[in-house]
Amino acid sequence: MNGALGRALRGLREHAYLAAVSAGVIAAALVLLGVYGLVVLNLEAVVSGWQQDVHVSAYFVATATAEETAAARSELAGRPEVLKVELVTAEQAAAWMKERMPEVEPMLAELGPTALPASLEITLKDGYTSPAAMDAFAASLQASGRFGEIDYGREWVERASGFLRTLKLLGAVLGTILVLAALFLVGNTIHLVVYARRDELEILRLVGATDGYILAPFVVEGALEGLVASAFALVILEVVHRGVLSRLHDAVPVTFDEGGLQFLPAGPLVALVLVGVMIGVLASWVAVQRFLARLA
Amino acid sequence: MIRLYHIVKSYGDRDALRDVSLHVEKGEMIYVTGPSGAGKSTMLKLLYGAERPTSGKMLIGGADVSKMDNRQLPSLRRNMGVVFQDFKLLPHRTVGENVAMALEVIGAPTDSIRRRVPAVLNIVGLRGREEDKAGVLSGGEKQRVAIARAIVNDPAILLADEPTGNLDGAMAVEVMEILQAINLRGTTVVIATHDVGLMDRFPYRRLRFVDGKLVVGGIQPRSKA
Repeated sequence: MNGALGRALRGLREHAYLAAVSAGVIAAALVLLGVYGLVVLNLEAVVSGWQQDVHVSAYFVATATAEETAAARSELAGRPEVLKVELVTAEQAAAWMKERMPEVEPMLAELGPTALPASLEITLKDGYTSPAAMDAFAASLQASGRFGEIDYGREWVERASGFLRTLKLLGAVLGTILVLAALFLVGNTIHLVVYARRDELEILRLVGATDGYILAPFVVEGALEGLVASAFALVILEVVHRGVLSRLHDAVPVTFDEGGLQFLPAGPLVALVLVGVMIGVLASWVAVQRFLARLA
Repeated sequence: MIRLYHIVKSYGDRDALRDVSLHVEKGEMIYVTGPSGAGKSTMLKLLYGAERPTSGKMLIGGADVSKMDNRQLPSLRRNMGVVFQDFKLLPHRTVGENVAMALEVIGAPTDSIRRRVPAVLNIVGLRGREEDKAGVLSGGEKQRVAIARAIVNDPAILLADEPTGNLDGAMAVEVMEILQAINLRGTTVVIATHDVGLMDRFPYRRLRFVDGKLVVGGIQPRSKA
């Protein structure tokens, strides 16, 4: 039992309740971080889905002939930023309107078959859906003189992009605050644990233990508590993911990439475990050092 | 073994020790005595490095400990056993584990620990009690475990701060007999006590402190070392 690991295991056994409290506090901090990560990840997926779904509707001028609309369609289909382009004739537009809003049928009959303009429904490729790229694309259409109105939900795209940016910034700030708060909380908890074991530290000092000898098992205990806390936090996150967020998903119909809620990928999961171990080690180190500095 | 020259220890405006000079020879057993607040415990704290003198010079085994930094303290304490009035044992650990702590700290091999712990418990009259929890022992037995832990490394010096303060007459005598036996094996023993009856029963040189001054048993060196 001379080694740091052996002494750490003995410490955990002798002070199981205090160790459980420390691990619990670390786990709570990690769950908060993880839930935030899950929310950000899935909202990013939603916003990114929204951005990809953005279409450009280009309405032809009333004088445009069928040849001109067909020519415009094939010309646009050849442009590198265009993924798909569909022609909606004036008749198709009128039929669509009648189907959804039957009450306007008499008015459409009175105005004739070209009451609504023909249009092109354009889907852009990934990388061409940013507000700036769509502005440039719309301007080029406008410059051709064929179209009366270009509609591409500019405001919506800008809002979605702005929301995503704010979300990421908020994530960074809140993440930092959460890690610091967790360190503070765990630090104070482990400080209480160390205080409860002050007799042991005092005796070790009296019999000639070096600071390194005293610190080592506490650091190992911190790492083990962080590891256990991480595993516990991952289980809770999985439960949260399957339960609460899935229910939310059912209640709020939104579009997700690949059709469902995502769980944290391997990278962030490993990072979460490392953060747990780091919090345990750092908090133990600081608490014991502070205590030893006061001991004779 | 212990040489103090003009030691002063102050806490703010108050002098706990005032110009103390003394010698303790190797293998000697002495008392540090005096009324409460006279400076006995401060004297012992200086010897085991829990406090540093405000001024003066202090040599233990030839090493100047008055200027020792914290990193050097473990080596000083590994050659010195300390016993307290309140025993300072871990009650949830066994007698054997409490004693073994002093050996584990110096990285003693397991087989050496298994050999040394029963041997030293035999010296203090606790043979066969290795597996008992320290918390269930009587006061006298706890102090004997504390002494066993203090001497298990064969230290050159044993410091005891009021070792019989929490014990009744018979147990106090038992503890003193053990300290005497340890001294006879060659260990220098310094005991802080105000128990005159015990000092009369076990007569050794007395260093008497009053208000931080060594009034009996000190030396008057001609010049500062």
